[in-house]
Amino acid sequence: MKKYIIVLAGIVTIVALLSFSLKDQPISDANDSFHKDSIASVNAFKDVYKVLISPRCMNCHPSGDVPLQGDDSHLHTMLPQRGKDGKGINSMKCGNCHQATPMEGLNQPPAHPDWHLPPADMKMVFEGKTPGQLAKQLVNPKTNGGKTMKQLMEHADDGLVKIGWDMGEGRTAPPISHAEFKKAWIRWIETGAYAPKDK
Amino acid sequence: MITLSINKKTYNVDVDPETPLLWVLRDELGLVGTKYGCGLAQCGACTVHLNGEAVRSCVTKVSRAVGQEVVTIEGLSEKGDHPVQKAWLEIDVAQCGYCQTGQIMSAVVLLKANKNPTDADIDAAMAGNICRCGTYLRIRDAIKLAAQIERKEA
Amino acid sequence: MADLKTSITRRSFLRSSALAGGGLMISFSWLSAFKSPDTMAPELADWAELTGYVKITPDNIIKILNPNPEFGQNVMTSLPMIVAEELDADWKQVLVEMGPHDNVKLGPQFTGGSNSVRMYWKPLREAGAAARQMLIEAASQSWAVPAAEITTKAGILYHQKTGKQATYGSLATKASAIAIPKGMKLKDAKEFKVVKSSIKNVEGKKIVTGEPLFGLDYHVEGMLIAMIEHPPAFGMKLKSFDASEALKMPGIKDVFTQKLYEDGFEQGGFDTRTFNDLLVVVGSNTWQVMKARKKLKVEWEPAGEYKDIIAARGQKREVVVPAELESTEAQLKKMQEWSAKPAPQLRKDGEPEAAFKNAAQVIERTYNAPFLAHNCMEPMNFFAHVTDDKALVAGPLQAPGWSEPTLAKLLNLPADKIEIQMTRMGGGFGRRAYGQYLYEAALISKKVKAPIKLVYSREDDMTYGIYRPMYTATYRAALDANKKLIGFHVNGGGIPEHAIHANRFPAGTVDNYLAEGWAIPSNITIGAFRAPRSNFNAAAEQSFLDELAEAMGKDPIDLRLELLQKGKESPVGQNNDYDAERYAGVLKLVREKSGWGKAENKKYSRGVAAYFCHNSYAAHVVDIVMKNGQPYVERVFSAIDCGIVVNPDAAINMVQGAVVDGIGNAFYGGLTHKEGRAVQNNFHAYRIIRMNEAPKKIEVHFVQNDIDPTGLGEPPFPPVFGAVANALFKATGQRLYQQPYAPQLNKRRAF
Repeated sequence: MKKYIIVLAGIVTIVALLSFSLKDQPISDANDSFHKDSIASVNAFKDVYKVLISPRCMNCHPSGDVPLQGDDSHLHTMLPQRGKDGKGINSMKCGNCHQATPMEGLNQPPAHPDWHLPPADMKMVFEGKTPGQLAKQLVNPKTNGGKTMKQLMEHADDGLVKIGWDMGEGRTAPPISHAEFKKAWIRWIETGAYAPKDK
Repeated sequence: MITLSINKKTYNVDVDPETPLLWVLRDELGLVGTKYGCGLAQCGACTVHLNGEAVRSCVTKVSRAVGQEVVTIEGLSEKGDHPVQKAWLEIDVAQCGYCQTGQIMSAVVLLKANKNPTDADIDAAMAGNICRCGTYLRIRDAIKLAAQIERKEA
Repeated sequence: MADLKTSITRRSFLRSSALAGGGLMISFSWLSAFKSPDTMAPELADWAELTGYVKITPDNIIKILNPNPEFGQNVMTSLPMIVAEELDADWKQVLVEMGPHDNVKLGPQFTGGSNSVRMYWKPLREAGAAARQMLIEAASQSWAVPAAEITTKAGILYHQKTGKQATYGSLATKASAIAIPKGMKLKDAKEFKVVKSSIKNVEGKKIVTGEPLFGLDYHVEGMLIAMIEHPPAFGMKLKSFDASEALKMPGIKDVFTQKLYEDGFEQGGFDTRTFNDLLVVVGSNTWQVMKARKKLKVEWEPAGEYKDIIAARGQKREVVVPAELESTEAQLKKMQEWSAKPAPQLRKDGEPEAAFKNAAQVIERTYNAPFLAHNCMEPMNFFAHVTDDKALVAGPLQAPGWSEPTLAKLLNLPADKIEIQMTRMGGGFGRRAYGQYLYEAALISKKVKAPIKLVYSREDDMTYGIYRPMYTATYRAALDANKKLIGFHVNGGGIPEHAIHANRFPAGTVDNYLAEGWAIPSNITIGAFRAPRSNFNAAAEQSFLDELAEAMGKDPIDLRLELLQKGKESPVGQNNDYDAERYAGVLKLVREKSGWGKAENKKYSRGVAAYFCHNSYAAHVVDIVMKNGQPYVERVFSAIDCGIVVNPDAAINMVQGAVVDGIGNAFYGGLTHKEGRAVQNNFHAYRIIRMNEAPKKIEVHFVQNDIDPTGLGEPPFPPVFGAVANALFKATGQRLYQQPYAPQLNKRRAF
C-alpha cells in the first residue's frame, strides 16, 4: 500500500528551519516514484529508530563481535563470536542453540531457522548509533547489505526482523507493534528516507 | 514413529516430535553419556554432533535430527580412543566428570575447524560449556595436547 | 551450628578369610570414638565397627573397595592408593570398585568436611600392611626361609639368597589362613612408592566415553520418572491444585500430594526440609513429566510460621521457622540493624573496649555476602524402589549413613532392609549431604508402588535449594599513635547463622580481642557449601587485613607474618584453633613462589590472602590484568599445607578447581530473593565462571612434610575470595565490601 503525501509549499524553508540534513541523502531508483517529504520521513523514522535500538533488534546488531542479550542488552553469556558469515564459529554456531522453532518455556533461546548476526564484512551496527547515523547506514547499499530502496522496504517483512516480536516468554517486545513498525518503515522510505540531523 | 541415525546406527522411536533430542537419547535409547544440565542451552553438558555441529540437544527438537547424522559421546570413537579422549585421560582433566562429555564434544568440533588453537581460540570455542568443578585449565591443556596427537596421527 | 574440636581417634582390628575359589580377603574392622570434623559429621557416634576389603585372586588381581562417596575429589583413586602402598601392590594390577553402603564394614562413608583421606588414612594403611605381612608369612612357610629375609615389590615376593620369587596371587590362599599380625610397622613416608605419586583417575575412561556413572543415569526396566512442583517462594505452601489437564498429557500416570514429614517428625541434623507439602507428577519419561507440570493449575498460599523439631547430637530442639516472604533488600537492611544491636559474645581477650577507647585510629569496615546456590552440574535426583518389606535407593549422596536412619523412620522399615547405592556424583559441594531429595524419592516410590527416579530440573535445583547463608561481618581494628595494632573486634551475623570462627586467626595474636555473633531466623533453607562459614570469613577478614596493612604502612604478607610470630611465641588466650607456624609457612611459600614484590611482576595488580580451615592451610597470590576493560585474573600462585599429598597431580587439579570456583563465586556468585522467590533460576541469570574467565595459569605448591594428610577439597577455596578482592583494589582503586564483585566493576555490559 503506497501513500502519497501532499508536498507542502515552502518545504525547503521548513527543512532549513528544522535543520534537517539533506546532505548525503541517498537517492535510489526505488524512491523516484515517491513524493519526498522530509518532515514526514524524519517523523516516521522516530518510530523506526525506537524499534531498531530496542533490545530485540539491537542485540543482534552489536558494536562488537559478540551479540547482546536480554532487556538490558548485556553481552551474550558465553560470548559467542560473530564469525565470518555472522553464524558463529566452530563449536559456537548460533544454530547450535537457536533452533528453527522455539521450545516452550521461559528463557529458552529464541528461535528462527536462519538465526545469525550480520556478517563480518557488513556488520550493520545499530548499537551506539544516533538516529542520523543509523538512517544513513540503512539506506546506503554499501552498509545495508547491498539493498535497493525496494528491497529495503521489503525487508520489513524479513523473518529475522519479524521474529523480534515473537521471541518467547519473558522478553519485552519492541515498543510498537510490527504492523506499526512496518507502516513507519515504509513511510520513512517512501517519503524520501531522510536522515534526521543529529545534534 | 521417528527414524534417527545416531552413531551410524538406525533407531526407530515412538515419541512426540517436539521432544528434545536429549531426552530421546537418555530416556528412550539409553545413551546417557549426553547430560542434562540446564535445559536452556546455557551449560553445554548436552552437546552432541548434528551433521558435525556442536548442537545443544536439550533445546533441539528430535524432529530436527530426522534424516541427519547424530553423533553422541558413545559414538565418538569405537574404543574410547579419539585423540580428544586420549588427551583428556593423559591430562587427567576430570573432577566430578559430569560436564566432560559435553566439553569433549565441543572440543572435537573446535579441532576440526582449527588444528592448532590458541588460548583465545579455545576461550571463544569453549565458553559455552560450564564446568562447576573448575577444570578449565586442564581442558585447555587437553585441547592443545589433542591437537598435537591429531597432527601426529595424521 | 556450633563448632566442634576436630579430632578423630580409633582403634582398628583386622580380619582375614579365604576367597571362594582361592585367594585372600583381608578386612579391617574399626572400633571408634569419633568426634565431628568441623560441623559436617554430627551423627556418627553410633558407628562402632568398620570393615573394608582387600581381595587378592590367584591370578594376582588385587581388588580394593573404595569406601567413600565420590563427587570429584578423586577418592575412588586416592583411597585405594593408600591400601596399595602398604601392600606393596603393583598399581597396574589393582582394580577399584565402589563399596556398598555399610557403615559397619566400611567406616563413616561420608564425603564432606575435607575428611575422606584424613579419616581413612590410618585404617587403610593398616589393612594394606597386614595383608602384606601375611603374604610374607605364607612365603616364609612355603620356602622355609625366615620371614625377615623376604622382601616385596610391586606385587611380588622375593627371597634374595635363594633367588625365589612368587606373585601375591600364588600365595594368597595360603596367606588367608595365617593369623592377622598385630602392631605392624607402617612404612616411613620416605619409602612411599604409590602414595605421593601421581596416579590417574581410575574412572577416567568411563567419564570420557560417557558410560553410565551418575545418579541421573540410573535406570531399571519399568522405572517411572517423578518431579515435584514446589511453591514458587519460600514462605508459601500448596493451597489447592487441579491436575485434570496434566493427567490428560501422554505418559502421565499420576499427580498427587505427599507430605515429606508428618507433624511432629523429629528431623536429624541433615534432614533440612525446604517445602513439606509436595505436589508430585509421575510419568513414563522425563520430558512428558516436564511438559505435564506446565499444565498443572496450582494455588499457593502463605505457609505462615511453623516449627521444625531437630533431634541431633543427643539433643532435641524446636526451631521456629518464620512466615515472612523475604526480599534481599529488606534482608540487607535487617542485617544492618542487627549489626548495631548488642550481640552474644563468642570470645574475649584482654580489654577490647578500653583498647578502642584509647585508640589513636579506629578502622571499621562491613562486608556482606549473598546466598549461594550449589549448582552441582548434575541436578538433584534419586532412584527409589520401595516395597512393603524393603527399599533400594540409588543416587548421588554425600553421607548415606546420615540419611538411612531418617529413611527407616519415614518408610517404617528396619535399617537392614534399606539398601543405599552410591553413584558417582556430578558435584556435591555440601548440597548432597542433605537427604531431602532421597526421602522424597522413597516416599513417592512407596506411594506409586513402582520403581521411580525423582528428577529436579535445573530450576528446581536452583530455587529449591539448601543454600550457603547470607552473611555480614563488621571488622574493627584499634591502632595506637605508633600505628601498632592494640585491639581487634569482629561482629558477625547472618541469615540464618553467622560465620564467625572466634578462635581462628587473628585470635591469639592480638592482646585485646572481641568476637561476637548473631543470627536472624529465616524460612530460606541453608546448609554446608564448600568450606561452610570459612568461605565468607576468608573474604571479609582477609580483605580487612589488607586494608589494615595499608593503614599501618606494612606489606600485607609482613603484617600477617608479624601477627603469626606473636601467635607462635606468646599466643593470647587458650583455644586458638590453628598452628601459627604452619600458617606462616604457606604465606612464606607463596611469597617465594609468586615472586612477591619482585620488579618483574609489576604489570600485575596483586592480592594475597591466606586461611586455615578443615585442618589445612592455604595461601594464594592472585594476579589481575585488565582485559577488554575488565579486570581478569590471569595468574594465581597457591601454597598449601595439607600434610602428605597422596596423589599430587589430582591434588593440584583439586586446588586449581577450588581457585577457579573461588574466582567465579567471588566475581559472580549470588542468589537473591524477591518476596521469597529466587530471582535467579537457571544459568542464564546465575552466572558461573566460564572458560574465558578462568586464569591462564594456577601454579600450585605444597609444603613438603610427612604430617598425616588433612583436608584439601575445601581449604584452598575460602582465601581465593580475599585475594581476589585485594587484587581488585590494586587494579581498580576500589575496595569491595559486597559480594559478588563483578556487578560493581562494570555496570554497563556486565552480565
